[in-house]
Amino acid sequence: MSKTPLLEIEDLCARVADKEIVKDFSLTINEGEVHAIMGPNGAGKSTLSYVLCGKPGYEVTSGSVRFKGKDLLSMSVEERAREGLFLIMQYPVEIQGVPVTTFLKHAVNAVRKHQNLPELDTMEFIKTVREEGKKLGITPDMLKRPINVGFSGGEKKRLETLQLAILKPSLAILDEADSGLDIDALKVVAEGINAERNEHNALLVITHYQRLLNYIEPDYVHIYADGHIVKSGDKNLAIELEKNGYAAFVKEQ
Amino acid sequence: MSGLLQKNIDLAGSNIPWLEGLRDKGREAFILPTAKTEAWKYTKLRDLSADDFVLSGTDEDKSHGEEHCTCGQGECHCHHHHEPQTNLPFAGYEIHFENGILQTLAFDLPKGVMIKPLMEAVFDGDDVKKYLGKDIDLASYPFAALNTAYLEEGVYIEIEEGVILSKPIILINHTHSCHQNIMAYLRNVIVLENDAKATIIEDFEYTGEEKSRYFNNIVNEIYINKQAKLEHYKLQNEAYKAVHISLSSVRVREGGFYESFCCQKGANLARNETKISLKEEHAEAVVNAVYLMNGWATIDTTTDIEHLSPNTKSQQLVKGVVGGNAKGVFQGKIHIAPNAVKTEGRQLHKALLLSDDAEIDCKPELEIYADDVKCSHGAASGELDKEQLFYMRSRGIGEEEAKRILVEAYLNDVINQISQEDIKTWMLSQATINQEEK
Ligand SMILES: Nc1ncnc2c1ncn2[C@@H]1O[C@H](COP(=O)(O)OP(=O)(O)OP(=O)(O)O)[C@@H](O)[C@H]1O
Ligand SMILES: [Mg+2]
Repeated sequence: MSKTPLLEIEDLCARVADKEIVKDFSLTINEGEVHAIMGPNGAGKSTLSYVLCGKPGYEVTSGSVRFKGKDLLSMSVEERAREGLFLIMQYPVEIQGVPVTTFLKHAVNAVRKHQNLPELDTMEFIKTVREEGKKLGITPDMLKRPINVGFSGGEKKRLETLQLAILKPSLAILDEADSGLDIDALKVVAEGINAERNEHNALLVITHYQRLLNYIEPDYVHIYADGHIVKSGDKNLAIELEKNGYAAFVKEQ
Repeated sequence: MSGLLQKNIDLAGSNIPWLEGLRDKGREAFILPTAKTEAWKYTKLRDLSADDFVLSGTDEDKSHGEEHCTCGQGECHCHHHHEPQTNLPFAGYEIHFENGILQTLAFDLPKGVMIKPLMEAVFDGDDVKKYLGKDIDLASYPFAALNTAYLEEGVYIEIEEGVILSKPIILINHTHSCHQNIMAYLRNVIVLENDAKATIIEDFEYTGEEKSRYFNNIVNEIYINKQAKLEHYKLQNEAYKAVHISLSSVRVREGGFYESFCCQKGANLARNETKISLKEEHAEAVVNAVYLMNGWATIDTTTDIEHLSPNTKSQQLVKGVVGGNAKGVFQGKIHIAPNAVKTEGRQLHKALLLSDDAEIDCKPELEIYADDVKCSHGAASGELDKEQLFYMRSRGIGEEEAKRILVEAYLNDVINQISQEDIKTWMLSQATINQEEK
């Protein structure tokens, strides 16, 4: 049975602040797949995820990216999100004065409008958010607070996961979704993410540690260095990395 | 006829010597400020005198032939009576003005509350004579002088001792001139006797078809007696070509409390000025405001708070959002007299600039002649946070909506200080930037 590609990246080159970071990066992710990207600090993993989301200041110099068959690079940031691309950010942003629930409601309705669906009923929506939040250990009290403001590192990651559960993207990029999480929280967040998986969506998991991959089992593991993938394999590659480090895969500077 | 100060205007009560004398003082004191006038240094008046304003309600205002009418409806409705209408989401004692001329007064007033047309109060020999023009030095306030020269329209409100009003008094002015540039002068005198409590709301809107240039000039004289409390809310949502200049002069006696909030979002040129005298001990004032604008507007918030007795307290939080080529002006003066020990005066102005061409002028002024006082002032301006914008957009929220949400969030802390829930909700819904008009 042939697979349906969700994201097709071909020879992507991108720079930020006049610095070439992503260099000839190619990767195809099909529906239902989980891909993991591992790589040393500063390799350009976060940069790649920002480029895919269209963050201003991140300039694509060559290559192409197709998402569900459409040209991703010609879409605005919000269009990409509405089409079903989602990023759990390594450093979620604090927004004073905007409560979590309000924020989520704006986001959900923007996505629904794009899909020609009616706005959600507020009471219904609040109920859903509370239920999803409960699964992730987010209290109703936290939902009333301004988004990410004063939240601990782990709480921020839970909130990112809550957004994923509410927005139900086709492709979620997790940029170190595990950083800052305690052992129990890691399990809760991973379970939250797994609960959203189905045969039509996919995950791109950026992580430094094998531990997250024990919960979210990857179909493919890629080693990312110097702006592109230097080696791909299955989940055993991650176990090998955990043991021996990157030395064998990254050329000496 | 041109110029702001016009001759041969028939005003009611010109045979009452004290009233005509007061108007004469206004006529003598009025000089249009120039770029050199310190109090108007940041807010340029430009071509105000060249606008050929016609006084609202005069024969000249009404005499235009239909061939001059530009409202394009064949028959001009400018002077037809408009049914009073409001969109306010709460009930109150409503007083309607159209083009600055009183149309309907509130009825069913509770005992101990008097609301009358200003001239009726003058003819009836009410206390209004005691209050008119008492606290305003006309030489320092040219537009109050001009307002005094045209003194006629407005209301006299008196709340008797100990009376507590549960519903707000709402002053609504709808301008709908569409054939020539009109100017209107409103003068309200508001007196709260000892222990009285009331809420006043001012709402300035444009309801006409074509957006002509017009000039609204308002002076409120407010007297808050011992232990009385007035909450004063204002929405300035004039048409984008309008000029709106307003002065509220407030005198607060022992233990009295003046709490105000003003949202300015309309007009091409606007000043909302508040001058407060905290006359006796434990008098207190809160003067909060927000302003939002785009295009080429200049919106000015000016305050002058005099602490004249010990243990007086004032607080000001003013926040603005400025886009396009617009300019926000904040001038805030706190004066603490030598005997006014143990007073507290706090002032904070913050502005959010939405474009490179937006401008902010901020002039705090502290005159402290007493020891043992707590005084502070602060000013800050910034831009929308790019990371926040990206974060919101990455969740599907459109750029314009994301900006709107961030602007709202920016102003929330001021608006949330409004103690009455329904008024707070109304102001939150109003605090959005008017679409830019060409
Ligand atoms: N705005 C910027 N200006 C200058 N350099 C930048 C900018 N953004 C990223 N870089 C640089 O690009 C490189 C890649 O950064 P990136 O954050 O993508 O790395 P990463 O692989 O995610 O690292 P980590 O594992 O530490 O999260 C780094 O050297 C970083 O300093
Ligand atoms: Mg990173």
